[in-house]
Amino acid sequence: MVSDSITHNAPIASAPNSRDFSKKKRTNRSAKLKQCKLDVRREQWLSQVGAVKSKCCKEDQNGARKERARSLENLRRRDEDNSNDSGSMHHDSDSESPSNSPTNSLLCGNSGTNPGTNFIGSSSSSSSVSGSSGGGCCSGSITEEEEEDGCLDDWEAVADALAADDDNNKQEPEHDRSCSQSPSESQLSVQSDSLHELANGLSLDSVKSMPDGARMVPSVSENNRRAWRPDDAFRPQSLPNLAKQRSFPAADRHFGQGGVPWACNNVLAAPSSCPICYEDLDYTDSSFLPCLCGFRLCLFCHKRILEEDGRCPGCRKPYEHDQVESEAIVQGGSMTFRLARSCSMIARS
Amino acid sequence: MQASRARLFKEYKEVQREKSADPDIQLVCDDSNIFKWTALIKGPSETPYEGGVFQLAFAVPEQYPLQPPQVRFLTKIFHPNVHFKTGEICLDILKNAWSPAWTLQSVCRAIIALMAHPEPDSPLNCDSGNLLRSGDIRGFQSMARMYTRLAAMPKKG
Repeated sequence: MVSDSITHNAPIASAPNSRDFSKKKRTNRSAKLKQCKLDVRREQWLSQVGAVKSKCCKEDQNGARKERARSLENLRRRDEDNSNDSGSMHHDSDSESPSNSPTNSLLCGNSGTNPGTNFIGSSSSSSSVSGSSGGGCCSGSITEEEEEDGCLDDWEAVADALAADDDNNKQEPEHDRSCSQSPSESQLSVQSDSLHELANGLSLDSVKSMPDGARMVPSVSENNRRAWRPDDAFRPQSLPNLAKQRSFPAADRHFGQGGVPWACNNVLAAPSSCPICYEDLDYTDSSFLPCLCGFRLCLFCHKRILEEDGRCPGCRKPYEHDQVESEAIVQGGSMTFRLARSCSMIARS
Repeated sequence: MQASRARLFKEYKEVQREKSADPDIQLVCDDSNIFKWTALIKGPSETPYEGGVFQLAFAVPEQYPLQPPQVRFLTKIFHPNVHFKTGEICLDILKNAWSPAWTLQSVCRAIIALMAHPEPDSPLNCDSGNLLRSGDIRGFQSMARMYTRLAAMPKKG
């Protein structure tokens, strides 16, 4: 909850700055990103951290300095905001290389222009952000940039690698490259930070972020970043969508669960075995309710009874049109049921 | 045939599993014929049959459980709804009110309930029925108690 509130606050201020930076960054990014993309992808895929670091580190180092100065917590907040903004763009990249570094690539580009320090903070912030899920704030700036470059996929991978490198260089707690999510957030944060608000935001963020950072640092790390990556990509639009999607399946599950208990209730209400032949009731039998009195029995016994006196064993009332249900359920047996009725009618008459 | 046999086998296992469930009923299957059963039931308390043990004979038709089992008293009993000589029982659930959901065990319970609550309006034992219908409860109870002692209680000494 805390992280969400923080993210909301920060994005407002940082969003415009991040956008401007993003434009500038785009140019720088394109070149850097292109170079780094291939290497980053290779390295990331093979060993997510290694090779990418060198390229990323350069950018990261710049950002890292600032970031270092700043408290990680501040970064986190900023990153969260940024990540929220960038999230929409990231989605695309994420889709291609979900776990990898769409966010990282963004971060790298941003970090080139902006101080790399944000990454660390962003990672932490991203973790916090991811935890909060929120993120509708994420501006499309990052995403837009990436789209324009057309390097979204590559960028993501690069960004991931860069983020990892940055983290390593900075040696911040969040260094773990795995935190691909965090990098994206960090990029966002970096952009915003690089904007004018860096100092202000940092101070504010640092103050605000402190509690968040405490939370983030222990648990967030890689996992949070990763979690955020997909979220970041989706942040602008997809995050809410994701939440919705999640809720939907959850709702479905609930429905399913509801249905299950319902079925279970039916089963429970019905004996587990046919009271006539003592054979276990299968699913079809369990859902077979031939009489309004609720007496259940297996289809075989039901058929036999219809051939005999045709009365419900439970209430001793003759099976009437209630059989329609059974016939509907067991279409194959409907003919026999009907025949049985007619026979029984004849016999009675 | 197969269905009835399977059902009786299930009932047999059920009886073996819950032998002590109903201490008033002891249901035994014939060793060689699963369609022949005998039951020992205790006369319900606060009735003329209290203290007596009555033996029932079950003849299970092949159409069982769609057709009710044929049950009769092997032990002589003075009851309006039991034939004094043949032991035939006039009980609706053994005739038109039979339900496949009934079991041999539940039939025994129904017979115990019938012993506690005779129906003099549909008598197989006219003497017993007439006593009750005439309001001679005391006469009926003394007659029933006498036959219980004579036929359903272990002879002393």
